[in-house]
Amino acid sequence: MIELLASALVLASMYGLVAVGISLTWSSVGMLNLAQGFVFTAGGYVAFLFAQYMAKNFSIRDGVILSLGVVLLGMLGSAVAGLVVGGLAFLPLHDRINFPVRGLIATLAISIIGTQLFMVIFGPQSKPLPQIFGIKRLKIGEFSIAYGQIGTIVVATIVLLLVTLWMRNSRRGLQMRAMMMNPLGANMVGVSVRTTGMIALALSGALSGLASVLLGQIFFVSPTSGVQPLIVGLIISLAGGLGSMPGTVAAAVLLGLAEAVTARYTEQSLVPFVQFALVIAILAFRPRGLGGVLEDVRE
Amino acid sequence: MSLLHMQEVSSGYGTMRVIHGLNFSIEPGERIGLVGLNGHGKTTLISTIVGMTGWQDGSIEFMGQQIGGRRSHGVGRNTPKIVRSGIAIAPQGDAIFPGLSVEENLDSGAYTDGAWKTRKRRRDAVLEVFPPLRSRLKQSAGTLSGGERRMVSVGRALMADAKLYLVDEPSLGLAPKISIGLVAALCEIDLGDGAMLIAEQNLPLLSGKCDRILGMHAGELKEDVGEALGDIPPAAELS
Repeated sequence: MIELLASALVLASMYGLVAVGISLTWSSVGMLNLAQGFVFTAGGYVAFLFAQYMAKNFSIRDGVILSLGVVLLGMLGSAVAGLVVGGLAFLPLHDRINFPVRGLIATLAISIIGTQLFMVIFGPQSKPLPQIFGIKRLKIGEFSIAYGQIGTIVVATIVLLLVTLWMRNSRRGLQMRAMMMNPLGANMVGVSVRTTGMIALALSGALSGLASVLLGQIFFVSPTSGVQPLIVGLIISLAGGLGSMPGTVAAAVLLGLAEAVTARYTEQSLVPFVQFALVIAILAFRPRGLGGVLEDVRE
Repeated sequence: MSLLHMQEVSSGYGTMRVIHGLNFSIEPGERIGLVGLNGHGKTTLISTIVGMTGWQDGSIEFMGQQIGGRRSHGVGRNTPKIVRSGIAIAPQGDAIFPGLSVEENLDSGAYTDGAWKTRKRRRDAVLEVFPPLRSRLKQSAGTLSGGERRMVSVGRALMADAKLYLVDEPSLGLAPKISIGLVAALCEIDLGDGAMLIAEQNLPLLSGKCDRILGMHAGELKEDVGEALGDIPPAAELS
């Protein structure tokens, strides 16, 4: 039971980080970022390069410094990738006609080109990331949980909590929420849509990068490793109500739980079916997603 | 030196020209009424000053700095910069943030660093002008009544550390009694060396309370229509 809950929360943490990024981008920038998978993978590769460099030049293969470096550089790499997406798809297009559709197509193009670029540079083989929380397991009675799982859940929770607090209490957070509610009004009170949009993209990127590094505990990094998080992240952010942090986190926990239970008691191949059925059910009863009841979100 | 000096300013949207070669200045300390019928360019004039029309041409100098010029793209791209240089705007209707609390809405108007640091004091000053907001500070702005929403919108503009306040149709869609109170409150604010431009359809609301009343007709300005219409009784006597 505890093991099931742990794996459900691990999934929820990773999906939640990606979905919050997608949701944040959509509600503040007004662009559905299909390149979020590319951004996700970019962080993984940056972390991999760092680990490889440390192993080769300093023979460091584990420890606090390596773990910290992997996490921070993974986040930084994805944040930069997020800025690249912004520079290509957001800045040149955002005040042109029909930006939502153009942005969608532009990010799709970036996603495809980016994936091929990774294929050319790193090859199709998967690359391993270091186990940043060690490989030991915590034993509670007859159950045992990997430290990696605990670490993932704790780190994701702390980071999402910090982002929520930052959004609620800081000046930038206020500006970003103002932009989510009414971009035109925000412009008129001196909030630069361009600057704030780029900050939102970098923040979304950093969250995805963290998810990427954490996922590296379970799966290896490959050119297409961002596809699954992108798809699940998209449906979670839809189910959670675009722009609502609490709604998105709730939806992530729900879908993580659904995936863990389905995989445990039936088979893995049924997971997408159950996830989509769940999201359709949520949207049938709450067209604006779970967050629609919690706060006003962008239509 | 004039606070704002506009020379041969034209602007519009697409192929439509709304403002036709306008020349007009605002002096420090002035409170100016801008009256005219719907669709004659009052809102477009305000939008032009902050760079939010489809295109514009002509010189607009604000405190000696050029903020106008020829522009045919990037609607609103310069607006944050212009706004931060000291022009606060309370747009038509109310571009408030429905999901934020009244307090957060007001704070979002304090966009310069100086205004942000003194936002508590500024909020108190706004609450002096609009006392009904005091009990609603923590309430979500989307749940307010029309009059209160307008107070938030105008109050948000007052939060700024601005030299020029542009208020667009404060009375639009409000009950007469509420709009009289709102405009009266606007006209009592001490501007110091700043200035205020109030666009309004309802001339009696403004007459006798502004230094100058300008008429806007078909995209052109008629200087000081206040005197010509001097025999209109002030709003207080109408109610």
